Amino acid sequence: MSFIDKQARSLLLAEIVTGLATTFRYMFKTKATINYPYEKGPLSPRFRGEHVLRRYPNGEERCIACKLCEAACPALAITIESEPRDDGSRRTTRYDIDMTKCIYCGFCQEACPVDAIVQGPNFEFATETREELFFDKQKLLDNGDRWEQEIVQNLVADAPYR
Amino acid sequence: MPTLTVDGIEVTVEPGTTVLQACEEAGAEIPRFCYHERLSIAGNCRMCLVEMEKAPKLIASCAMPAGDGMVIHTNTQKVKEGREGAMEFLLINHPLDCPICDQGGECDLQDQSMAYGSGNSRYHEMKRAVAEKNMGPLIKTTMTRCIHCTRCVRFATEVAGVEDLGAINRGENMEIATYLEQALDSELSGNIIDLCPVGALTSKPYAFAARPWELSKTESIDALDAVGANIRVDSRGKEVMRILPRLHEDVNEEWLSDRSRFSYDGLKTQRLDTPYVRKDGKLQPASWSEAFEAIAAKLDGLDGAKIGAIAGDLVCTESMKALKDLMDLLGSPNIDCRQDGAALSAVRSGYLFNSTIAGIEAADALLIVGSNPRHEAALINARIRKRWKMGNFPIALVGEQRDLGYGHEYLGAGPATLADVASGKHSFAKTLKKAKRPMIIVGQGALSRSDGAAVLALAKKIADNFDLVSDDWNGFNVLHTAASRVGGLDLGLLPGEGGKSASDLLDGSLDVLFLLGADEIDTSKLGNSFVIYQGSHGDVGASVADVILPGAAYTEKDAIWVNTEGRPQLGRRAIFPPGDAREDWTILRALSEKLGKTLPYNTLAELRAAMIEAAPHFADIDVVTPAPWGDFGVEGATEDSAFVNPITDYYLTNPISRSSRIMAQCSAAFSKVKTEGTGTNG
Amino acid sequence: MVEFWDVYLLPALIIVGQILLIVVPLLVAVAYLTLYERKVMAVMQLRKGPNVVGPFGLLQPLADGAKLFFKETVVPTGANKVLFLVAPMLTFILSLIAWAVIPFDEGMVLANINVGVLYLFAISSLGVYGIIVAGWASNSRYPFLGALRSAAQMVSYEVSIGFVIVTVLLCAGTMNLTGIVLSQKGSLGLLNWWFIPLFPMFIIFFVSILAETNRHPFDLPEAEAELVAGYQTEYSSMAFALFFLGEYANMILMSGICTVLFLGGWLPPADWAIFTWIPGIIWFGIKVALLLFVFIWVRATLPRYRYDQLMRLGWKVFLPFSLLWVVLTAGFLVYFDMIPA
Repeated sequence: MSFIDKQARSLLLAEIVTGLATTFRYMFKTKATINYPYEKGPLSPRFRGEHVLRRYPNGEERCIACKLCEAACPALAITIESEPRDDGSRRTTRYDIDMTKCIYCGFCQEACPVDAIVQGPNFEFATETREELFFDKQKLLDNGDRWEQEIVQNLVADAPYR
Repeated sequence: MPTLTVDGIEVTVEPGTTVLQACEEAGAEIPRFCYHERLSIAGNCRMCLVEMEKAPKLIASCAMPAGDGMVIHTNTQKVKEGREGAMEFLLINHPLDCPICDQGGECDLQDQSMAYGSGNSRYHEMKRAVAEKNMGPLIKTTMTRCIHCTRCVRFATEVAGVEDLGAINRGENMEIATYLEQALDSELSGNIIDLCPVGALTSKPYAFAARPWELSKTESIDALDAVGANIRVDSRGKEVMRILPRLHEDVNEEWLSDRSRFSYDGLKTQRLDTPYVRKDGKLQPASWSEAFEAIAAKLDGLDGAKIGAIAGDLVCTESMKALKDLMDLLGSPNIDCRQDGAALSAVRSGYLFNSTIAGIEAADALLIVGSNPRHEAALINARIRKRWKMGNFPIALVGEQRDLGYGHEYLGAGPATLADVASGKHSFAKTLKKAKRPMIIVGQGALSRSDGAAVLALAKKIADNFDLVSDDWNGFNVLHTAASRVGGLDLGLLPGEGGKSASDLLDGSLDVLFLLGADEIDTSKLGNSFVIYQGSHGDVGASVADVILPGAAYTEKDAIWVNTEGRPQLGRRAIFPPGDAREDWTILRALSEKLGKTLPYNTLAELRAAMIEAAPHFADIDVVTPAPWGDFGVEGATEDSAFVNPITDYYLTNPISRSSRIMAQCSAAFSKVKTEGTGTNG
Repeated sequence: MVEFWDVYLLPALIIVGQILLIVVPLLVAVAYLTLYERKVMAVMQLRKGPNVVGPFGLLQPLADGAKLFFKETVVPTGANKVLFLVAPMLTFILSLIAWAVIPFDEGMVLANINVGVLYLFAISSLGVYGIIVAGWASNSRYPFLGALRSAAQMVSYEVSIGFVIVTVLLCAGTMNLTGIVLSQKGSLGLLNWWFIPLFPMFIIFFVSILAETNRHPFDLPEAEAELVAGYQTEYSSMAFALFFLGEYANMILMSGICTVLFLGGWLPPADWAIFTWIPGIIWFGIKVALLLFVFIWVRATLPRYRYDQLMRLGWKVFLPFSLLWVVLTAGFLVYFDMIPA
């Protein structure tokens, strides 16, 4: 009986018809995609986007050149050089992230004892040339000034789970 | 010999050993901060607590002598809790600023709190803050981090011999401070940076420069004095970031002198990184081939007698061997490695520190002649002090009167006093006579004089008269100041038949003079000599040169160095020479090919084989081959003038330290002698 | 002179005008078929599809065309340059000239010849040349393999297509395409169309034209997972665009043939007033669009066949089955004396 059943199904293209019916049904479902540049999906507070270097509210840069991010970076994307600033405090003279090497793992953010290097919510930083992806300290600090509000909100939202 | 049980393992130790050492013997690791093998026992950090059966409380193992039948436990719950408690107390006032602390990554407190700490804090009160102390240009202080282990105080007092550091106030207000608010005036001050188990004392020049995990570590040999201290060169990329001592019981123990430790920034400045040729009276950058052609043109058809060579103080044995062979091929007997004119001959026992550095501890009387070991070999001075602290070690000094860091009898200033001692007229002669293992240290200040050979003969006479030399003891010592000197003498860089010595080579009588890193020379009488300078730094030699060949500094080449004891040691390359500079022996090899007198070695191994053939003891790396007692010195009349120490400014003795900013700061801060503005007067 | 004008020039101009009247809308249709395909696929895959260029992405085909137009035509060093450039033109031209015999409405046909079916059959058989020439002229591995697969596939399925057409011819009694459409005219409306009595043949025909046009699930000649892009691998710019246009024009052509043979051409589905008001060419267009939708629908649904499965289906299933059906149809017609006059 099963033989006949099988042959009949094969002859009547049962599986193909089922498949076609499935795709046809899907035509009337809600779209999974959004109209990207105009609509954006929700981002987790933990989203790991473009790096920023943050400042304290008084404008002092947070980074103290401890180099833990450099040590934590599995892609060796971070390069830091440091020396005492005129006031004797420990500061970076160079803080470079090679964004072409970065794998966005978030270890740098995890390692940072002063929340200076943070991966912000920005993911739209494509550039036309490779060179533009070699971020230096100024670029990162500018990013920080630009995204500070969002980052603070994210940190506050995520604080209970840290 | 007490026998005790540690964690079920029975160990037998020397009497007087501490429980901590016994535990180590048994393979148990004991955390500690204040305890240090080479310092006295303080017992104030309480980190080394262990449990002893039948004792009511945990005992501080570092302060408890091992006794027979003790039963020690190092891994019980009680010990764990004790350590956690001690750690908690230590951390009460320790700021948790590891991210900005230079000790981070190599910090005892960090490591041990990870290993033995409790992991969380119960302390919510305010922490104290302590004002920074001024400890000079070398040591950066962050005294808030201090845990009062007093290692630095003990080092300064016991090893360095300067009682400038101490703890002031009591209890919560206790601080480690220099009593007089002044820099630590010691040539060994850098060692307290290594000793400090936390980040309270860190290196000022190295401040915030690098993290330990970024550095490549190269084990090498120091070349800035003749001690041959074992060092570890920490480099990052093409930069030497710092230099640290490495343990070698027979040479430097685990100390390093400040000049050797902090001169590294001189490796970056004043460097010769491309060949130069003098054109129209000015030195112009040139290519290697241009430089070689200029030399070849000058040497073409020149008689060997009109050519001379002087090897300087920072030159490795490889390049000296190559230079010597090249001069032989050119037919020149005019070669000398004694640029200061020291009256040393080829007799090996006549220029070695025969007693060996470790042997100082076995001596029982010491006569220092024309030397200030504190400046000339700070680490040897530390050994002498170590021996002196053991007691029964009469020390006498002939020469300039200086604070040596230990008690000594000042005999006189010049050769006359020495002659008195030699003839037995002097009171110290009795002391020498009585001693079983007497020592004499003859410094370069006594030898680099016009009557140097006579002084050497006097010293030998003392050695002979007072039985300084016996079958198992050789108390005759020459203290060198240059790392290259013993190696050069071993390889025979002395004037040959009819050859001229260094001072004669500089009088302008030669057509071509080859200066291999020779900078501590008098260039005023050079006249029209064509000067070829090969070296790493633009200093005296380079300024008078007609052709400059850029060479490698001691951190930039694999080389054998022979220290003042005659101990060949292997230095390793940490970084590459800058720019077009090359390893020195390869330059000489290339030049010889250009001159049509090709040196017979193509690789370093072949060159070393040639060196071993010339001086067999080069094959025994890190072994002091004793030299048979021989005949040296020329008896004759001595002058009346007093001995003058060769080093006027400890911090500026060679081209590298003269190029160093840190050394310049030290010189300004410490040296009593006013230096001239150029900084090149040695 | 007047004679020359009347006899030669004017008819020629008229014919050229008629050709343009077919080709220009056809090319526009091809352009929008690509958008149609992308949109339908998107909808079935819960996506939005192209919607940025123009309203609802309606200018997307123009943008794609402009992009292809301004690209560089790369001719591989080892390629046979003449054949390499001739091949896409051949494909494109062949896909257009077949349209000469397709009736869009009663009398609305460029060449109403009596052997229209044979003409179509001949032209579509020539289509394989463009592909095999492209594969050979590229002098490259993937195109060559793709071309071989394509040739074998097209030849195999043409056989069964032939038998399917024979059954329709037996029933319709004419090879004139207009005649075939008119043979489906009757009081029953769409029930008179040949796809009802010859339903299995309709299915076989549809599946075969999928294979004939190298469409999914029979797109083995350009299976990107295996052959990069098959015979098109080395093509770029307008040469590629011509292939592309040719392929999509072929799809429309095959849908048109299918419409004519089985779906009653321009005939409305019923003789009701509303339906008959709508011009026949619109009905033809609607039916073609419907078939093209199925083309795309199938693409969105079915995975690719393995090559041996493809061949097995063509030779071991469709060929015997359609042969049997020809015999059965012929026997049926003879037995019941229903052979059309």
